[in-house]
Amino acid sequence: MTDVAEELAATAPPRPRRMRPLRWIPVAVIAVYVLVAVFGPLLVDYDPIATPLADRLKPPGASTAAGTALLGTDAVGRDVFAQVVYGARTSMTIAVLTVSVAALVGLTVGVIAGYTGGIVDALLSRSVDVLLAFPGIVLAIVVAGLFDRSLAVVVLALALTGWIAFARLTRGSALSLRERDWVAAARVMGVSWRRTMTRHILPFVAGPVVALATIEFGLVVLAEAGLSFLGIGLPPSTVSWGKTIAGGRDYLATAWWISTFPGVALALLVVSVGLLGDQFNALFRGRGRPGAANTRRG
Amino acid sequence: MPHRRTIRRLTALTALLPVAGLAVGCSTTSGGDGDTSAFTVASPYAVQSLDPYGSAGAAIGTQLANQAVFNRLVKADATGQLGPDLAESWTPDADATTWTFTLRQGVKFSDGSAFDAEDVVSSFKRFTEGKNPNAGSFTGVTATAGADGTVAFDSPAPDPALPGKLTLFFVTASETPAEFPAKPVGTGPFTVANFTPGETLEMAPNAAYFDGAPKLQKLVFRQIPEISSRMTALANNEIQATWGVPDDQLAGLQGNPDVKVETVASTSVYTMWFNSGRDSLSDATVRKALWQAVDFNTIISSLYPQTGQPSDSVLAPPVFGHAAQTPVAYDPEAAKKALEEAGFDFSKTLQIQFSGAEYRQFVEAVAADLAKVGVKAEPAEKEAAVFLEDLLGMKWDINFQALSTPSFDAATNLGRLYPCSAKRTGFCDADLDKILAEAGSTADTTARQELYAQASTIIWDKAVGMYPMQVKIAYTWRSNVEGLAASPTYLPDFSTVTLS
Amino acid sequence: MTGLVIRRLAVGMFVLWGAVTLMFALLRMAPGDPATLMLGPDATSAEVDALRTELGLDRGVFAQYLTYLGQIARLDFGDSYRFNLPAMDVVLDRLQATVELTVTATVIAAVAGLTLGMLAGYRPNGRLDRTVSGLTILLQGMPTFWVGIMLVLLFSATLHLLPSSSVGTPQHMIMPAVTLSLPFTAIVARIARTSVVDSMQEPYVQTAYSKGLSRFQVLTGHVLRNSLTPVVTIIGLQMGALLGGAVIVENVFAWPGLGSLIVESVANRDYSVVQAAVLLIAAVVVVLNLLADLSYSLLDPRIRTGGNR
Repeated sequence: MTDVAEELAATAPPRPRRMRPLRWIPVAVIAVYVLVAVFGPLLVDYDPIATPLADRLKPPGASTAAGTALLGTDAVGRDVFAQVVYGARTSMTIAVLTVSVAALVGLTVGVIAGYTGGIVDALLSRSVDVLLAFPGIVLAIVVAGLFDRSLAVVVLALALTGWIAFARLTRGSALSLRERDWVAAARVMGVSWRRTMTRHILPFVAGPVVALATIEFGLVVLAEAGLSFLGIGLPPSTVSWGKTIAGGRDYLATAWWISTFPGVALALLVVSVGLLGDQFNALFRGRGRPGAANTRRG
Repeated sequence: MPHRRTIRRLTALTALLPVAGLAVGCSTTSGGDGDTSAFTVASPYAVQSLDPYGSAGAAIGTQLANQAVFNRLVKADATGQLGPDLAESWTPDADATTWTFTLRQGVKFSDGSAFDAEDVVSSFKRFTEGKNPNAGSFTGVTATAGADGTVAFDSPAPDPALPGKLTLFFVTASETPAEFPAKPVGTGPFTVANFTPGETLEMAPNAAYFDGAPKLQKLVFRQIPEISSRMTALANNEIQATWGVPDDQLAGLQGNPDVKVETVASTSVYTMWFNSGRDSLSDATVRKALWQAVDFNTIISSLYPQTGQPSDSVLAPPVFGHAAQTPVAYDPEAAKKALEEAGFDFSKTLQIQFSGAEYRQFVEAVAADLAKVGVKAEPAEKEAAVFLEDLLGMKWDINFQALSTPSFDAATNLGRLYPCSAKRTGFCDADLDKILAEAGSTADTTARQELYAQASTIIWDKAVGMYPMQVKIAYTWRSNVEGLAASPTYLPDFSTVTLS
Repeated sequence: MTGLVIRRLAVGMFVLWGAVTLMFALLRMAPGDPATLMLGPDATSAEVDALRTELGLDRGVFAQYLTYLGQIARLDFGDSYRFNLPAMDVVLDRLQATVELTVTATVIAAVAGLTLGMLAGYRPNGRLDRTVSGLTILLQGMPTFWVGIMLVLLFSATLHLLPSSSVGTPQHMIMPAVTLSLPFTAIVARIARTSVVDSMQEPYVQTAYSKGLSRFQVLTGHVLRNSLTPVVTIIGLQMGALLGGAVIVENVFAWPGLGSLIVESVANRDYSVVQAAVLLIAAVVVVLNLLADLSYSLLDPRIRTGGNR
C-alpha cells in the first residue's frame, strides 16, 4: 500500500534548466504567503465576531462602513480580503505543525524500524498497512468529526497518516545504511546507536526528507481546507479558506466572489509548493534512496 | 518532423476523453426527470424511513412520507385548526381523561382490506411501544376499540391536548408485519412504488382513497441536499416544488414567471434559552438585559426579509395558547447599564450552542451584537448528536433552536418544556408550575387559553429565553402546479395537486 | 504465484482486523451517546439505560470489543438508527453511486493521464515535458472542492449547460467525474512519464526503430505496453484513494455516495453506518492492492518469468 506523498516523491519531474530565473517564482510566492501569514493580520483589520449586516454580499471594490472591500463581502458583511489574509495564517500554521509532527514521528519510527529490524520493524510496518487501508482523508474526517473542534484535533487527524511517508523513507535508508562500512564501523567502535543515528544516518536522508516535507505541506494545506469545507474540525472563530469557500456555495449565482478568491489563494499556494517540491525532488533524487526499493510493500 | 505527428495523434486521443466519460456515465442511476406526468418535489428534509413507529418516526422527512401513504385520526390545517381525517368527530369526558373518537366508515386500505377500530388500537400500541420519540408524550395512554366504530383513548391524568398530539400518530393496517415493510399498506392518498432511503420515494395514486383519488399520475420525493441545487432544479423544471427556501435564494427566483412563491406562518419560533442554572444567568434582569442588547429587528430584516417576522410571544400564532406579549425594545445602553448594575461578569464567555448551518448567520449576528455591549458570546455549532446530548445535560449557556410545536397545542411546548420538573432551561418558578399544571388538566378551552397566556407572560417577562423571531416557510412551485396545500409544519399535502 | 496470493491474503486479513480494531477504538473514545441520540430529547433516563443495556453499551469495553469482533466476523454491522435498516444495507445502497463516479473518474484519469504522460515522456526535458509537468502540478494543487464549485459557477450558474448537482442523467455525472479525476490524472501522468522515459532507453526500443517502425508505432506499441505496468498498479492503488477522495467531491455535487454518507453519519453519531462504510472501503482497498500486486506480476513479463529477460 502506498500514499500520495510517496507516489509523488517517487516520480521524476523534468530536469530543471540551469540559471532559469523562473525557478525563483515558487519560492517568491511562498515567501509572500509566509509574510502575509506572519504580518498580514497586523496590517489588515478583521473582526471574526462582528457581523456588519448592512454590508452583506457587497461586490469587490464596493465601499463599506469599514472602508473598501477589495474582494467583496460575505453573507454577514465580513470582508473577503481579510478572510484570505487571516486564512493564510491558519493554513500555514496547521501545515507547519502537521508536517513537523508527521516528520518527527515518521523519522523516529522509520529510524527505529530500519535500524532495529526484526519484530519491531514488522509490527510498525503492519500498523502502517492498517492506517493505509483508510484512503484519502477518510480517517481524518472520522477523527476530526468525532472529537470536539480545535486546531489540535485537525493537526492530529492530518498527522495520523502524514507520518507514514517519512517513516518509510527513513526506514528504507536506515535499513540499507545499517550495513554500510562507516555505520558498521561506528557500531563496532561502540558508538551509541542514537549517535550513529544523528551523525551517520539522519544527514543522509535530510535532502529527501525536505523534498517529502514540501510535498506533504501542499497536501496538508489541501486536506485542512477540505475538512473546513466539510464543516469539520476547526472552531467557528477560526478563519479558514475552506470555510469561506464553503460559506459562498449558496451564493454562487449572486455573489461569486466569496468562493472564488479564497480558492485562488489556496490553489496558488499549493501549486507553488508543488513546483518547489519538484525542484527539491530533482535536486535530491538519487540521494538517500538506496533502500527505496525495499520500502514498497503490499 | 515525425514526432510532431506523433504528438498530434496523441492529442487526438485526448479528445476522445469526453466520449469515454459519457459512455460510462450512461450507466448512471435514473432519476425522475424527463417524465412529464410525474410531479417531483424536493423536501428540505430527507425521507430516510417509512416506518411511523421507528426511531426516525418523528423526523419531518418520515412524517412527510407517512402523510402521503397513511392517515391520522385528526389533522391540522394551515392555521392550526384541527379537522377530521380517519376520525369524523371526537369528544372528551368531563375531566378530559378519556377521549372518544368516532371513525369514518367505509374506508379501505390500498390492498382492499377494510379499515376498522382494531387497526387504530393495534397501530397505537405499536406507536407507543415503538422507538418514535413522539411516543414519549403518550406515556400511560391506552386505546380501546368501542362499539359502532369508536376508539377510546384513556390517559392516567387529564389530557386536554390529546387530539392535537394525535396529529403525530399515523394509522397502519393491523396486519402490518413486525419488520416494517418496504412498501407498506395504508389508507392514504398515495401508495409506495419505489423507495431508496435518503434519496427518492416514488408513489402512485391510491385509486380507492376515501377523499377522492389524487389527480397526479406519479408523485416523487427527491432528496437534493444543497439549497442552491434545489433552486437550479426548480428553475430547470427538474422538480416542480420545494419549500423551506431561505431568503437569499428567494431573491434569485423573483422575476421568474414560471415560479410562484408563497410564505406560510409556521409553528416555529427562534428560541434562545438562557441556562438559568448558570450563576451568571440566574438573574432575570441580566437575561432581559442581554435580550435588550441584541438588535433583532435589524438582524431579521437583513437576513430574513421574507421568511422572518419579529415574534410577539413564546409560541407562534398558529399554536393554540398563543398570546401576544409586550415587545422587548433594542436598547444597548440600557442593557449595558443593567448588566453592570446586576454585577454581570463581562470576562466570562457565553457559548451559544446551535446545530445546523442555516442558523449560523443568525447566531453570529446575535453574538456580534452582544459583543457590542461588552458581552463575550461565542457561537458554537454542534453536530446534531452532541448538540442534543449537551442540551439535555444542560451543558450550555445559551441554546438556540428553531422550536416548533407540531401538535399545534401549547401543552407540548410550554407544558412540556417549562415546568421545574422538566429541567430543560434551569428556570424554575412556582407560579408558572401551578399555571401549567392547571392548564394541563382542564378540558375547558377558554380556561386553557387564558392559563397559557398567563404562562407565556411569565416566561416572556422573566426572559427564560429570547424569543426573537417567528418563522415563515417559503414554498415555491412551478406555475403549472395548482392545489398544493402549504403547511406550517413543513408537511405540504399533495393529494389535491393538479398539473396544467 | 499461489504462495504470493496466500501471503497477500494473510496480510490483507491482518490489515482488516487492524482496521476493525482502530474503528472500534475511535468510536468508543468519541463523545456522544448513541442511546440518548436514538431516543430523542424526551426519553427518561430509565429508557436510555434500558436501551444502553439492549445495545450492550453498559458492559466492559473489552467485552464489547469481543462481541463486536464476533458480529463483524458474521458480517453483522448492526442497524442504522437513522435509517432503521441494517447498516450494511444502507452502505451498499450508496456504494453503487460511488462506484459509478469512481469508475468514470478512473477511466478519464487513465486515458488522460497516460496520454499526458506519453506526451511528456516522449521528449524528456523538452518544452512539452515541462508544460505537462506544470499542468500536473496545477491539477494536483487545485482543491477539488473549489474546482467543483467553479465548474458549477461556470456551467450551471452562468451558462446553464449542466445540472449543478445530484444524480439523474449522464449529464449529472460529467462535472463530478471530471473534478474527481483531476488530481488522479496528474498522478497517472507523472507515473506514466517516468515509466515512458525509462522504457525509451531500453534496447528493444532501438531494435524496434531499426526494424523500420514509425515513432508512433514504437510509442503506442512497445513503449506503451511496457510503461503500462506501473500505471496499472497506480490505478489500482489509487482507486482506493479515490473512494476516499470522493468524499469531498460527493459533498460538492450532492452525489449520494459513500463519502457523503460517512460525513452525515459521523455528524449524527450513526456508529454502525460509519463502521460499515469505513470497513467496506478498507476491504476494497485491501482487495485492490491484492489485484494490483497480481496484475503487476501478470503484466510484467520479467516478474512472471522469474527475472529472466
